[in-house]
Amino acid sequence: MSVMSSVLFLAQVQPVPSPAPAKIDPPALDAVWPILIVLAAACVGVLFEAFLPRHQRWPAQVALSLLALAGAGVALATYLSDAPEAGEMAMFNTLAVDRPALFLWGTLLALSVGAVLLIADRSVEPGGAFVATAAIRPGTVQDRAQVTATGMQTEVFPLTLFALGGMMIFCAANDLLTMFIALEVLSLPLYLMCGLARRRRLLSQEAAVKYFLLGAFASAFFLYGVALLYGYAGSVRLADISAAAAGTDRSDTLLFAGMGLLVVGLLFKASVGPFHTWTPDVYQGAPTPVTAFMAACTKVAAFGGILRVLQVAFESTQWEWRGVLWGVAIASMVIGAILGLTQTDVKRMIAYSSVAHAGFLLIGAIALTDRGLSGTLFYLLTYGFTTLAAFGVISLVRDSSGEATHLSQWAGLAKRSPLVAGVFTFLLLALAGIPLTSGFVGKFVVFEAAIDDGMAPLVVIALVASAVAAFFYLRVIVLMYFSEPAADGPTVTVPGAFTTAAITLGVLVTLLLGILPSFALDWAAGGAFAIR
Amino acid sequence: MTGTFNLALDTQPAAGAASAAWLLLVLPALGAAVLLIGGRRTNKWGHLLGSGMVIAAFAYAVVLFFDTTSLAAEDRLRDLHLFDWISVNQLSVDFGLRLDPLSITFVLLITGVGSLIHIYSIGYLNHELEDRRRFFAYLNLFIAAMLLLVLGNSFVTLYFGWEGVGLASYLLIGWYQGKDFAATAAKKAFLMNRVGDVGLALAIFLMFKTMGSTQYDVVFSQIGDQSTGTIVAIGLLLLLGACGKSGQFPLQAWLPDAMAGPTPVSALIHAATMVTAGVYLIARSSPLYSLPQAEDARLVVMIIGAITLLLGCVIGCAYDDFKKVLAYSTVSQIGYMILAVGLGPAGYAFGILHLLTHGFFKAGLFLGAGSVMHAMNDEGDIRRMGGLWKKMPVTFVTWTLGYLALIGFPFLSGYFSKDEIINAALGQGGTRGWVFGGIALLGAALTAFYMTRLLILVWLGKPRWENLTSPATPDPESPEAPVGKPYHPHESPSTMTIPMIILAFGSVAGGAILSAVLPEWLTPAIGEVEETHGALSHTMVGILTVVLAAIGAGLAFLLFGRRETAVERPKRVSFPVRAARADLFGNHLNEALFARPGTWLTRALVYVDNRGVDGLVNGIAAGLGGSSGRLRRTQTGFVRSYALSMLGGSILVIAALLMVRFA
Amino acid sequence: MTPTYYLLLSALLFTIGAVGVLVRRNAIVVFMCVELMLNAVNLSLVTFARLNGDLHGQVMGFFVMVVAAAEVVVGLAIILSIFRTRRTASVDDSNLLKY
Repeated sequence: MSVMSSVLFLAQVQPVPSPAPAKIDPPALDAVWPILIVLAAACVGVLFEAFLPRHQRWPAQVALSLLALAGAGVALATYLSDAPEAGEMAMFNTLAVDRPALFLWGTLLALSVGAVLLIADRSVEPGGAFVATAAIRPGTVQDRAQVTATGMQTEVFPLTLFALGGMMIFCAANDLLTMFIALEVLSLPLYLMCGLARRRRLLSQEAAVKYFLLGAFASAFFLYGVALLYGYAGSVRLADISAAAAGTDRSDTLLFAGMGLLVVGLLFKASVGPFHTWTPDVYQGAPTPVTAFMAACTKVAAFGGILRVLQVAFESTQWEWRGVLWGVAIASMVIGAILGLTQTDVKRMIAYSSVAHAGFLLIGAIALTDRGLSGTLFYLLTYGFTTLAAFGVISLVRDSSGEATHLSQWAGLAKRSPLVAGVFTFLLLALAGIPLTSGFVGKFVVFEAAIDDGMAPLVVIALVASAVAAFFYLRVIVLMYFSEPAADGPTVTVPGAFTTAAITLGVLVTLLLGILPSFALDWAAGGAFAIR
Repeated sequence: MTGTFNLALDTQPAAGAASAAWLLLVLPALGAAVLLIGGRRTNKWGHLLGSGMVIAAFAYAVVLFFDTTSLAAEDRLRDLHLFDWISVNQLSVDFGLRLDPLSITFVLLITGVGSLIHIYSIGYLNHELEDRRRFFAYLNLFIAAMLLLVLGNSFVTLYFGWEGVGLASYLLIGWYQGKDFAATAAKKAFLMNRVGDVGLALAIFLMFKTMGSTQYDVVFSQIGDQSTGTIVAIGLLLLLGACGKSGQFPLQAWLPDAMAGPTPVSALIHAATMVTAGVYLIARSSPLYSLPQAEDARLVVMIIGAITLLLGCVIGCAYDDFKKVLAYSTVSQIGYMILAVGLGPAGYAFGILHLLTHGFFKAGLFLGAGSVMHAMNDEGDIRRMGGLWKKMPVTFVTWTLGYLALIGFPFLSGYFSKDEIINAALGQGGTRGWVFGGIALLGAALTAFYMTRLLILVWLGKPRWENLTSPATPDPESPEAPVGKPYHPHESPSTMTIPMIILAFGSVAGGAILSAVLPEWLTPAIGEVEETHGALSHTMVGILTVVLAAIGAGLAFLLFGRRETAVERPKRVSFPVRAARADLFGNHLNEALFARPGTWLTRALVYVDNRGVDGLVNGIAAGLGGSSGRLRRTQTGFVRSYALSMLGGSILVIAALLMVRFA
Repeated sequence: MTPTYYLLLSALLFTIGAVGVLVRRNAIVVFMCVELMLNAVNLSLVTFARLNGDLHGQVMGFFVMVVAAAEVVVGLAIILSIFRTRRTASVDDSNLLKY
C-alpha cells in the first residue's frame, strides 16, 4: 500500500525520538461495564452462530440479546448510583463517562430493547422480517421458498449489539480517533442489516448499497476532518482542540476546514439536510425493524456526538460557525417539511419527518447552554421512542406481498382496526408536537432554550416548519379516519407479544413524557460534558 | 387583584367542590376516550354517553359557580394546582387550573351551550347512525380541549387547549371528507390557524425569556416592569393568535369556509365557543393590555376589531348560503367583541357580555338553520326557501327571537351588549371615539340589513321551493343528500327543537340579566369597568342604535320584502341592483345613494376576500405542494447524485465557515 | 522537501477520490475511490505527525487501515450480493428507491 510506504519513508528520513515506555496500569472498568457487556454479548452471539444448531439459534440469540441489554442496564444503574457528579474519564482517557453520556447510554439501551423486540418478532411475518439465507439470489426458486420458510438469518442479533456498542462508545468518545472507530463500528453492522429483508429483497439490497457507499463517503469526510484538526491542534483529544482554538497563533484554515469536514460526517449520520439524501431511500428499503433501530438509535448516537463535539471542542469558536449551522438547520427543517408533503409511502414520509426533526434537534444542539444540552437530550429520548413505535405500527399493516406502505393502502384503516389507527394517530400527533404528547414537551424545551440563547428568528422558522410538517401528519390521520377503505386493502396483523411490547413501550413513554416529563428532564439536566 | 390562594390548604367546606375541578376536563375526555376506543360496540349508546358527560360537566360547573359566589369578592380568584408538569433548570411549568369568575363564566357557556348542542345532534345525525358515536367522540374531545383552554392557569396550559380545539375543529370541519370543498375548507382552517398559533407560541416564548414563567399570576405581576417594546410585542403576538382562532382580519377567510362541517359543529365551535377564544385570550391578558405602555397594542386590537366587524357585515349582505351569511355575521360580531376588549378597562366586561349573549343567539340561529336544512333535504340556498314559517313554526319563532336579539331589538339580549360596546367606543372621546363609535353604529345598521334579508328570504314571502327539486349536484352540507328530490319541509324532532327553545329564552332574557350582574361578577378577574363619557349620553346611544337598526331592517324590507325573489342568482347584474331596479324603478336617487355604492363595496370586498385572502392561502398551499412535488424529483434514486449533493453541501459549509472567519 | 507538499498531494488525492465517487458507475470502482480518499487522509495524518513531531498521527494511520479493511469486507459482501442479483455492478442501475 502506498500509504504504508510513505509512512516508512518518513520514518526513515528522520526517526521521531520515541518516548520512554510508560508504565501502563490496567484500566478501571466501573464506568464502562455497560459497553463491555453489550460488546461481549455480541461476541458470544457470533459464537452461537458458529456452534449452535440452526433451530436453537433464534431462542438463544433473543435471550442473549435481551439479557445483555438488561445486564447493561443494571450495570448502568449500579454505576449511576454513585457516579461522580462531574463525570470521569475511562479507558485511558478515550471515553468521557459524564452525565450526558450516561443519559444517552440509558436512552440507547432502552430504545434497543424495543428495537430487539421488533427484530425478534416472528408473529407478524412468519419467521421474522429477515431473510432466511442472505446468500440466496432474489427472484430465484430458492428465494420464493425462503419467503415462506420459518428460519431467519440470526446474525442480525449480534450485528445489532455491535452497532449498539458502537453507538454507546460514539456518544462518550473523548477523542476524535475513538469517535471515528465507534462511527465505523456502529455503521458497518447497519449497512449489512439494511440488506437482510425477507421480502422485496431488491429494494433491501439497494438500500444497503446506497447506505454503504454514501456512508463510506461520509466517513472519509469525517476522517479528513480529523486529520486536519490533528494538524491544527497536534492532538485529537477534544479538550486539546478546544484549548488550541482558544489560542491564536495557528492556522485557522485548518481549524475551520477540519471542523467543516468533521461536522459534515456527523450531520450525515444524523440525517440532517442537505446531507439527508440517503435517509428516505434507506428507511424505505430496509427491513422495518432495522429502520426503527436506525431511526431511533442512530439519531440518538449521532446527535450525542454532535453535542459533544460542538460543546467541548468548538465552544470557543462558536461565533464563527454558528451562523453556518443556522443555515444547515434551516435547510434541514425546510427540506423535511416540504418534501414530506407529497410523499406517498408512509416509511418515506416518516423519513422526511426525521429530517425535519433533525433540524429541530440541531437548533437545540447549537444553543451551547445547559438548557440547550438538556433540551436536546430530552428531545432525543422522546423522538426515539415515538419513532420506534411508529415503525412498529407500520410493520403491522400488510397485504399479500408484505408490508403495505403505500399511503393509499392506509385509507380507511380506522374502520378495519380502530386500535391500530388510534395508536398511530397518537404517535403522529406526537411527531407533530401536539400538546399532551412528549413531542410537544421536547419541542417546547428545545425552542425555549434556543430563544433563551438569542436565536428567535430560527425558532420562528422552526415553528413555521413544524406547522407545515404537521400538515402531512394530519393528512395521514384524515386518510385513516375519513376515507373509505379500498376493497382489496391491506389487513392489520394482530401482533405477537414482542411487537406488542415494543409498541406499547413506545406509546407509553410518549404519553408519560407528555404528561409527566419532569423526571426525565431532571435526568437530562443532570450535568454538563466533562472536559479533560 | 392577582393574589391567589391555594385550595389544597383551604379548609372551608366550599373547597371540597372546587378542588374537584379537574372533573371538568376528565369527564368529556373520558367520554371521548371510551367512544374512540370502544369503536362500533358503543354505537347504540355512544350519543347518550357523550351527551351525559357534557351535562354532568355542566352540572358540576353550576355547583362550582355557586361555590364561588358564596365567597367574598376578593377570594374568588383561585388556583388549583394539579401537578408540576415541566421543571428543569430555571424553566418550570405547572399544570394547574384557574378558577375565577372569568373562567367559570366560560365554563358555564361551554358546557351549557355544549349540552344543548349535544342533545340537538342526537336528532340531527339520525341519518348517519353508523358514524354518530364518532361525531360525539370528537365533540367531547372538543369540549375537553376548550375547557382546558379557559381553565388553565398559565399560557402554556392555554396553548394546550388552543391546539386541542384546533385539532377537534379540523376533524369536524372535514367530517364530510368525500367532498373536496370540505377537505379544502379543513386545510384552509388549519393553515390560517397555524399562523395564529405561531404568534401565540412566540408570545409564550417571549414571556419565558423576559419573565421566566407563563403562570398568569407571575406574568401579570411582572409585566409592568418590562420594557415597552416587550409589552407591545407580546400584546401584538397574542393578538395574532387571537386573529387566527377568532377569524379576525386578515385571517378571517377560514371561518365561513368552515361551514362545510355539520351544522351543530358550526353552532358550537364556529359560533358560540371556539371562535371566541381570541376574545378570551385578550380579556385574560387584561392586566397586560391595561398597562399604559400597551396603548399601541390596544389601538391595533381596536383597529382589527373595527375592520373585521365592518368587513363581516358588508360581505354578509352578498351571500345566498344560509350558513355562510350567519358565518360572516359571526365574524362581524366577534369583531365587536375584539373592539370591546381593545377598549381596555372600559370594554372588557362588555366584550365578554356580548360574547355570552352572542353565544346564545348565534347558537340558536345556527341550530335553526340546521333545522331548516335538515327539513329541506340539506338545502342551504336561501333563494330556494321562503314561506317556511307555516311549515316549521317552532323553528321560526325561536329563530326570529334570535334574529331580534342579534339586530339589537330593544330589551332583548343583543341590545344590551351591543349598546354597551357602542357606548364605550364613543366614550373614547375625540376623533378616535367618533371613528370607532361610528363604525360600530354603522355595523349595527348593516347587521339589521343582512339579517332582515335572511329573515325575509327564508321565512316570509311565497314558498319558492314548492315546484323545485334538490339540485342535481350534491349539496355542501351532506354528500348523501338526496339529489333531485322534491322538498317536504317539516318540523324537526323534539331533541332538536327543545335546545332551540332553551337558547331562544337565553336570547330574550339573557342580556337583561347578565348586563346587570356580569360586570360586578367579573371584577375580580378583569378589573372594574371604567366609566366613560363620550359625546353622546348613554340613552342617546341606545336610541341611536335602535333607530339605525330599524333603518337597516326597513331598507331590507323595501328591497326584498315587496317582490318576488328569483330562484337563480342573477348572472350579470348583481342582486341588490336588480332588486332596486325592479322595486324602486325610476328612483335613481335611491339607487345611487344606497344600492350602487353598496353593491360595489360588497362586490369589491367579496372579490378581495375570495381572490385576495383565499388566493393567498391557497397560493401558499399550492406553492408548498408544488415546490414539494418539484423538489421531490431531486431525489433521483441515483447514488451518485446523492453523493454530489453531499459534496456540494460540504463545500458550501466549509466555504461558509472560512468566509465567516476570514471575510 | 517541505512537508507541505505532502499535504497538497493528500488534498489532491482526496479530491480525485471524491470526484471519482461522483463520476464512476461501477460500484467497485466507486468503493475504491472511497478507499483512495481514506488513504489520502492517511498521508495527511502521517505528514502532520511529522510536523507535530509526535507519533499519534502514524498510529492513527494504522487504525484507519484496519478500519478500511473491515469496510472492504462489508462493502464487498454487499456489492457482491447485488451483483449476483442484477448481474451488474453499476450503481446507476440500483434505482428503484426514489422520489
